[in-house]
Amino acid sequence: MKWDWSAVSDFMPHFWDGLLVTLQILVLGSLVSFGLGLVWALLMRVPSRWVTWPIGVVTEFVRNTPLLVQLFFLFYVLPEWNITFSALTTGVVAIGLHYSTYTMQVYRAGIEGVPVGQWEAATALNLPLRRTWTAIILPQAIRRVVPALGNYVISMLKDTPLLMAITVLEMLGEARLFSQQNFQFTEPLTVIGVAFIIISYLASLALRALERRLVH
Amino acid sequence: MAPPHRTPLRGISDQRSRTAGPTRRTLLAGVAALGALGAAGCSRVATASDVKGGDLLGRLQAQGVARLGIAGEIPFGYIDKNGELTGEAPELAKVIFKRLGVDRVQPVPTEFGSLIPGLASQQFDVVAAGMYINADRCEQVIFSDPDYQMLDAYIVRKGNPLGLHNYRDVVKKKAKFATGTGYAEIAYAVEHGYKEDDILIVPDQVAGLNAVESGRVDVFAGTALTVREVVKKSSKAEATEPFAPLVGGKPHVDGGGFAFRPDETNLRDAFNVELQKLKKSGELLRILKPFGFTEEEMTDLTAKELCGG
Repeated sequence: MKWDWSAVSDFMPHFWDGLLVTLQILVLGSLVSFGLGLVWALLMRVPSRWVTWPIGVVTEFVRNTPLLVQLFFLFYVLPEWNITFSALTTGVVAIGLHYSTYTMQVYRAGIEGVPVGQWEAATALNLPLRRTWTAIILPQAIRRVVPALGNYVISMLKDTPLLMAITVLEMLGEARLFSQQNFQFTEPLTVIGVAFIIISYLASLALRALERRLVH
Repeated sequence: MAPPHRTPLRGISDQRSRTAGPTRRTLLAGVAALGALGAAGCSRVATASDVKGGDLLGRLQAQGVARLGIAGEIPFGYIDKNGELTGEAPELAKVIFKRLGVDRVQPVPTEFGSLIPGLASQQFDVVAAGMYINADRCEQVIFSDPDYQMLDAYIVRKGNPLGLHNYRDVVKKKAKFATGTGYAEIAYAVEHGYKEDDILIVPDQVAGLNAVESGRVDVFAGTALTVREVVKKSSKAEATEPFAPLVGGKPHVDGGGFAFRPDETNLRDAFNVELQKLKKSGELLRILKPFGFTEEEMTDLTAKELCGG
């Protein structure tokens, strides 16, 4: 095996472009999945089968089909019905939607983990429903589930290369494009592999710090 | 003083390592051993033989099967509705390999951009995807003489609203341009002044058609035949008239052939001899005709001329 440092330096400009796109996907995808997941979780608590049943079916469907298939569907099939997004938007929507079906379960666990006494106290104080949620339940629930949500961010990071399949040039896409033009695979793939390790390690350190702050 | 102390200490650590399951050190050693095993496994795959010019033909004859790298591109090399390998290049390869004493061919489908890397990493023996012969690729592989020559064409939306007929139009109208991974058309667009970063690279011509139909791009460039075939199924897009891209200011006609690993010159030369015979006897056109090739695509160009670059 040959290692060519000049290939590494040739690849670096492409690498930074790819890194930027990867981080964009990660940040936007996380926001979508956190927001949407909370919406699903709250809707699932509406005391009506007419709401919980459809939401349950949809989220169960999304959770049990592969992300790659969803990406292809949103990118290649939706345009048949004249719904066209850019590749990056499609990717963020797909990954955000996919992970929201996981984060909704995290929120559910967090909400159910709030002691019953808190609900009873809110009732005793005659707090309106909205204030019960925003001031009592959610602050306690979300604090509990931050570590679990963080794990999904790292998991999402490792799923971003799937977006390569719909022509998004994130890190792996840039590496492959570079490889196909220069016929050098070892260097660019190694560089992005190392980058993934560094990013996920830093992210896990940040998470641990956040966790410690929230618990104490 | 020291020795009497050391013995009991070692005794303790031995005991601990025996009871505490795998320690970090044994784990590391295990990983290293696995790595060494992997390296040994890799080195067992011979990349080149000692025979000058390679003995691949002999090995293929012994195995009775040659593996062809194809890119799922109609009409060059693809798997048809019945699951059979076909296309101009595989059909031609079947005939030539049979004459060389290799009875069967086996397809290895991959992306176009992965054909040369796949050939280099021994995933198949020959690239049979009607690959254009050009200077960049000649640095990586060796080519048979071309079995056809070809012009480029575009996929555009019905009625060609932007009036795109060649690369100059694309640059002038600032049209959004797409082509396939590893296609020669990337270089043509760049040569005409299109910014490389702005090119959308799609996996294949069907994704290219989809990109044009959905309005993500204005134009997809490919070979005239590919483009003509793929738009047949479309109601929203059409193919432009074939044209010759300018290279170094002069119209350039492309030729496609079969690619081999650089150290397998014996196989390539034997392949060329049979290809020449087919050209002379006119059988070549008969083999290629079902795939839409005509007299106009027959060529006397050589790989050397096309590599010249």
